[in-house]
Amino acid sequence: MNTPQKTKKPIYFGWYVCAVTMFIGFVVIGVRNSFGVFVDPMSAEFGWNRTTVTIAASLGALVHGISQPFMGQVFDRTGGRNMILITLAILGTGTILISQTSNVIFLVFMYGIVVGITQSGPALSNTAALMSRWFRRKRGISISINSAALSLGGLIMVPFAMYLLQATDNWRLAWVVIGTVVLCTLPMAFLFLHERPEDRGLLPDGDPDPAEVDSTPRRSLIPGPLTVQTWREAFTSAPIWQLSGSYFVCGMTTTVLAVHFIPFAMDDRGVSGTTAATIFGYMMGLNIIGVVATGLLSDKIGGTKNLLALVYLIRGLAYILLVSIDSVIGMWVFATVAGFSWIATVPLTSSLTAEVYGTKAMGTISGISFMFHSFGGALSIFLAARLFDITGTYTVPFALVGAMLFPAAISAFSIKEHKYSARYQAPAAPAAAGD
Amino acid sequence: MATFFNFILAHSGDAADPELLHWIKDRLDQLFGPSPWVLVIVIGAIIFAIPIFVIVFYLMQSGRRAATELPDKPGLNRD
Repeated sequence: MNTPQKTKKPIYFGWYVCAVTMFIGFVVIGVRNSFGVFVDPMSAEFGWNRTTVTIAASLGALVHGISQPFMGQVFDRTGGRNMILITLAILGTGTILISQTSNVIFLVFMYGIVVGITQSGPALSNTAALMSRWFRRKRGISISINSAALSLGGLIMVPFAMYLLQATDNWRLAWVVIGTVVLCTLPMAFLFLHERPEDRGLLPDGDPDPAEVDSTPRRSLIPGPLTVQTWREAFTSAPIWQLSGSYFVCGMTTTVLAVHFIPFAMDDRGVSGTTAATIFGYMMGLNIIGVVATGLLSDKIGGTKNLLALVYLIRGLAYILLVSIDSVIGMWVFATVAGFSWIATVPLTSSLTAEVYGTKAMGTISGISFMFHSFGGALSIFLAARLFDITGTYTVPFALVGAMLFPAAISAFSIKEHKYSARYQAPAAPAAAGD
Repeated sequence: MATFFNFILAHSGDAADPELLHWIKDRLDQLFGPSPWVLVIVIGAIIFAIPIFVIVFYLMQSGRRAATELPDKPGLNRD
């Protein structure tokens, strides 16, 4: 009785890659968002005013946004592994070196330039491209996990920096510890960060070799008609403009809230600072559930552009609630509805980009899309501040940016996903015998 | 110039809103007490739990990986 013993399949290696990129994103976003914690002690020691220190931080944000497409191009050309390892090493070292700050020029160079550029190496635009190589059927959820890590990183790493500073009462030591945390990601990245499943003799999603299963090419392996080799080709077609245009509005509507929601709650709705922060924290928590749920739905039921349009539509409705219901309950309802849609657009946009254009130039294409998102965000903050000065209320700017969500939903909905996405390409009919 | 830089900075500060940070700090102080070192250790443990979990899980799976390796098929499906 030689019954073959059944052995459970091991976890697909792509999930380890996903976990590592998640951890890297978690730590890197923490470095970026923790800067605010250091503004007061550094200003106090050197006698700088707030604006002086702010220049370093804002330059870092600007450099990070602009360098993403360039880092994306390096990612696409080199495969990504070495680029991520090198940028992480420089980022960790640069963060430690901030502890040696003795003048503002050094701080501006180290945080604004070195940290700003190197943060673009393991940025979500690149890790989403990496996930798209490792996953086809589970692309949405793998990118979702990476996106959720960014929210979690901000919420965990920033308090860590805050308490570290309080405990040591030494901002130099706190920078050294945070930089060391970044360097601690290196061994894990070195071990698990492989560029393609083929490097480990695997296929995307850990699927078996199609030659073993049947001879018919699987739907997911057939490229779509717009599959590109270079990013320039992508920008001659409509879907990337539809996606980037919607993403611009996404940047506007999330960033304006991130910056002005708490002042709006306190000034326009008369809510206490604690309640406003509680509502905002609740919304940030919900966005993790929302992003994972949309990633799962996109993988399971498909129709990614419909989900994307729905997310924009729901957010648009949430904005209507925000400006029309003048009560604390209205704000809670808004937070519930908007929370689910907050970063849900990221995995949907990234996975749809990969399905339409393939993964060859995805780092660059995603980097450019993220730049649209950043520009939308920067513009919205500027507009909201100006309109607040003119009207004395946040209702007008919120209503304006909220109204833009409806065209964004139409733009996403009108993408011809069935025509262009690799997911919906029918396999060619097998050649007749004798052909 | 200062306004320009301020609005860029604000754009990148999602989870770093001062009100939100105070709120998080109040909740954590209520849970763990006011000693900052306790919180540094607790949050540090949460941060490092992620890589430790991944590595331990990978090592735990090494038996399964070895069992599914096919000697006649170099490369494919080794994991």
